[in-house]
Amino acid sequence: MPKKYHINSKVTPLNLDYVFKFNIERGENCINCGKCTKVCIYEAHKRRKDDPRKMADPNTVVCRNCFRCIQECPRGALEKSLDKDFLNIGGSYWKSDIFITLWKQAEDGKVPVTGAGYRGPFTGSGFDGMWTDMSEIVRPTRDGIHGREYINTSVELGRKLNHLTFDEKGKLLSKVHDTVDIPIPIIFDLPPDNLSPNVKAALVKAAVELNTCIVLPAGDIASDRKKYIKNIIPLISHKEIDKHQGLIKNTRIVAIEYADELLSNFPAAKDKIKKISNALTIIRIPATKSVETIVSKLTQNGAEIIHIVADYRGREVNGSTDYNRRLLKDIIRAVHLKLIDDRIRDEVTIIASGGIAMAEHVPKAMICGADLTAVDLPLLIALGARLYEEPEKLLIIPEGLEKIPVRTLTQRIINLMGAWHSQLLEVMGAMGIREARRLRGESGRAIFFEEIDNDTFGKLFKKRETVNV
Amino acid sequence: MKPPSAVKIKKMPSRFKHQVAKYKVTRSNTCINCGTCAKSCPYGVHERVEGHNRVRPPINYKCIGFECQNNDFYCVAKCPRKALSLSLNPMYETLGDYRWTADMITATWIMAETGYPPERKDLEYNIGNSGGGFDKLRFKFPPGRPKIDKLEISTEITLNRRNDGRANIVISTPVYGGGMSFGSVSLPTMLSKARNATIWNTFTCTGEGGYPEMLQPYDHNVITQVATGLFGVREETIQRVRIVEFKYAQGAKPGLGGHLLGEKNTESVARMREAVQGTSLFSPFPFHSVYSIEDHKKHIDWIKEINPQALVSVKVSTPNDVDMVAVGSYYAGAHIIHIDGGYGGTGAAPDIAKKNIAMPIEYAIIKVHNFLKEEGAREAMTLIASGGIRTAHDLAKAICLGADGAVIGTAELVSLECVRCGNCESGRGCARGIASTDSELSALFGEEWATQRLVNMYHAWNVQLVEILQKFGMRSVRELVGRTDLLEHIDYSAPR
Ligand code: SF4
Ligand code: SF4
Ligand code: SF4
Ligand code: SF4
Repeated sequence: MPKKYHINSKVTPLNLDYVFKFNIERGENCINCGKCTKVCIYEAHKRRKDDPRKMADPNTVVCRNCFRCIQECPRGALEKSLDKDFLNIGGSYWKSDIFITLWKQAEDGKVPVTGAGYRGPFTGSGFDGMWTDMSEIVRPTRDGIHGREYINTSVELGRKLNHLTFDEKGKLLSKVHDTVDIPIPIIFDLPPDNLSPNVKAALVKAAVELNTCIVLPAGDIASDRKKYIKNIIPLISHKEIDKHQGLIKNTRIVAIEYADELLSNFPAAKDKIKKISNALTIIRIPATKSVETIVSKLTQNGAEIIHIVADYRGREVNGSTDYNRRLLKDIIRAVHLKLIDDRIRDEVTIIASGGIAMAEHVPKAMICGADLTAVDLPLLIALGARLYEEPEKLLIIPEGLEKIPVRTLTQRIINLMGAWHSQLLEVMGAMGIREARRLRGESGRAIFFEEIDNDTFGKLFKKRETVNV
Repeated sequence: MKPPSAVKIKKMPSRFKHQVAKYKVTRSNTCINCGTCAKSCPYGVHERVEGHNRVRPPINYKCIGFECQNNDFYCVAKCPRKALSLSLNPMYETLGDYRWTADMITATWIMAETGYPPERKDLEYNIGNSGGGFDKLRFKFPPGRPKIDKLEISTEITLNRRNDGRANIVISTPVYGGGMSFGSVSLPTMLSKARNATIWNTFTCTGEGGYPEMLQPYDHNVITQVATGLFGVREETIQRVRIVEFKYAQGAKPGLGGHLLGEKNTESVARMREAVQGTSLFSPFPFHSVYSIEDHKKHIDWIKEINPQALVSVKVSTPNDVDMVAVGSYYAGAHIIHIDGGYGGTGAAPDIAKKNIAMPIEYAIIKVHNFLKEEGAREAMTLIASGGIRTAHDLAKAICLGADGAVIGTAELVSLECVRCGNCESGRGCARGIASTDSELSALFGEEWATQRLVNMYHAWNVQLVEILQKFGMRSVRELVGRTDLLEHIDYSAPR
């Protein structure tokens, strides 16, 4: 059994200006009676330090929405509303609540646990339209959660053989390809280039400490980062292989941008890289309409790892603004099925990214057919960044972040990934799956809204109509 | 339907000074303190105290809202200085969520207060805003006046359909209270649930925390739970009750087992669970002694051996193969198969599990009902649904989909003025004293108040259920089971 992978979380607050959910206001008719101080067990209401006869402004950040002060103030002087900043942040994909939960996870590294049942919509688009399965009684044991039995979340990058061939003497003839193992099915993807040096450094450090990798533009890999080169995936154009020989020599994986010529000359590019080092090659390809066909062709042409990149809301990229673009869930399923149809699924590793916003997206993307995922924005949200979708994508890095020590930032990213890793364990534990690799394409162990709704309600109600007619 | 004779409806108002207001009445500074509004509004929103030079700020929660516009006492129109305006209260948006809307919570509070469904027309309380499942199903009531007298309609169901010589337990209304363990809810909460179960001739469940002595007077109406941790499970508690429930999983956190934090494992909790005080207690998943239906049967046989009268219920969550599990439970000799859907309540569960793991109850009911039928086992089993049954309409829809009855938890807590804030497990527990064992918080309300609120809410549900049966011309709730033909789905059914 491999050594148990453990992520060391540590409570790491970051005193930035966060958005909070509930806004409480004390009206002028307050008589300073102090009842609210008594009833709020989260201490939102305190007296003023300078003048204890008066009440201070409510500390709304700590409000947990219990309604007690509202209901018990003798004067009805308190009002509560959803905070405006809360309502504005994010958008239709990056829901306001996502920010609050990601911030919290980055702070304490824990799985978010709450009381009361689920509060959200019945179903939704993309990953929100599927549930993961669980094992009830009659399957083998699966207690991975509390350390009783090890759940392995590691995945392998690289080409696998469809079958092995041996000579008559039983000697292995096939050449087994090189692979790279990472302990979580998550790599860090391409941060925006306007980040301050400490943030960039923290991203790299976190990737190193988690023993995963980060994709960085080759031009952006400062020489002092080179000691971390094993955890860095330089992104280059296939025309620049010679230029980046130095990097390629030391790295385990290189990523090249997709270009149409690669459909025919990928083997040449790969050979060139292999001459420099043993590095594996990722082809990074935008999730366009025909992405599954391209992926299949590239694979038949020797591609070993393909990274499919959807837009930041997990939608297909095709230059249009229409809302019928496919979502990551369906893109991955299409790619996976195409590769299975072509009998080459195991020959390539599929990385999916774009819109991976919450822990649940990782196992769900894998169930749909990805081998692993790449995250980007949540890593910055862990550092207090805010994102707005409307009127156009806007990422706001908190003021003063450039002065925060690298260690603090690194720890927050590690915390977030620690929380995600634990949540992945929860999902896998419930499914009774002990190897993350086995999640890939296990769509039989998921429940898809369109299918089940149609199978139950669709059949039931449509059928009757036809009988009536 | 005549409710059991012990059911007495009594008004039991909120324990708080103010209720959560749906509307907001604003008085601008053009007000001249004439007192017209105070005189005209019959609901006491405006209060003018003699000798004060300003009218008191409006008491928003008493206002009936926009429907008042047609009244001749409508204050906004009456005010000579046009100083008043009426709007939706922004606070109302902070109450509730997609599944339990603010209207639904408010209506449940009214039911718990009055014993009847609200008379207010401005509350949409029979369906939530989740956009799926029950919230998309509607009843297809036949036209014409109902012919059956409400008093002739029975809401009783039998829980033992096996004909195996064991007790034939009949409950008066097809709902009972879900398991909430000692330690997860306050004593008044637990006791009021049990008292209500006795009054309504139905059941409540201990949860997996053992069998507190205070519940002994209610033995007749208590289901004791045998969960994977086997905490506090003893022969004597099993002999004491009429129904024993095996809990395999919980809908809100299927496949994850239970976890009681060390700090919650106080002296009394530890004694009950026969554990060491202060240690974290894990209920593993699954039963480590159950790997097959045969193992499952051995456990059920064991219970049956210890208590020759008891019925056995099996509580499972809703994976893809829930139908097989149900049939397996039939072969293992269970009387009740209790399926708990993914959107159900919990004292504490990972958010990722609540949202993502296992299917909503609506699908599972149909799946299990049909599969039991195909296997010829439906007639011998009682199918109970839980996990997302919020209202009497959900209950009736669940029955139409194939359940015999339902288990509810959140609706009971909301009756005790839970606001679904979700902080039950944090720090000192529930700020409203419902799910807390903190000495100060758990003393926020008494057993009498809580029991009456539950009795009232069960009554209001029963009233609604009887109305539905009456409209369908049915004399018994048993006629409703599996009648999907009486439902339509707004996504699939052609408009009528
Ligand atoms: S309870 Fe109301 S009146 Fe009393 S101090 Fe608080 S806000 Fe003011
Ligand atoms: S609503 Fe509850 S948590 Fe929020 S400030 Fe009031 S008493 Fe405190
Ligand atoms: S709108 Fe009607 S109910 Fe509301 S305060 Fe005015 S008179 Fe009273
Ligand atoms: S903490 Fe909130 S959700 Fe939990 S029981 Fe209390 S009021 Fe309800």
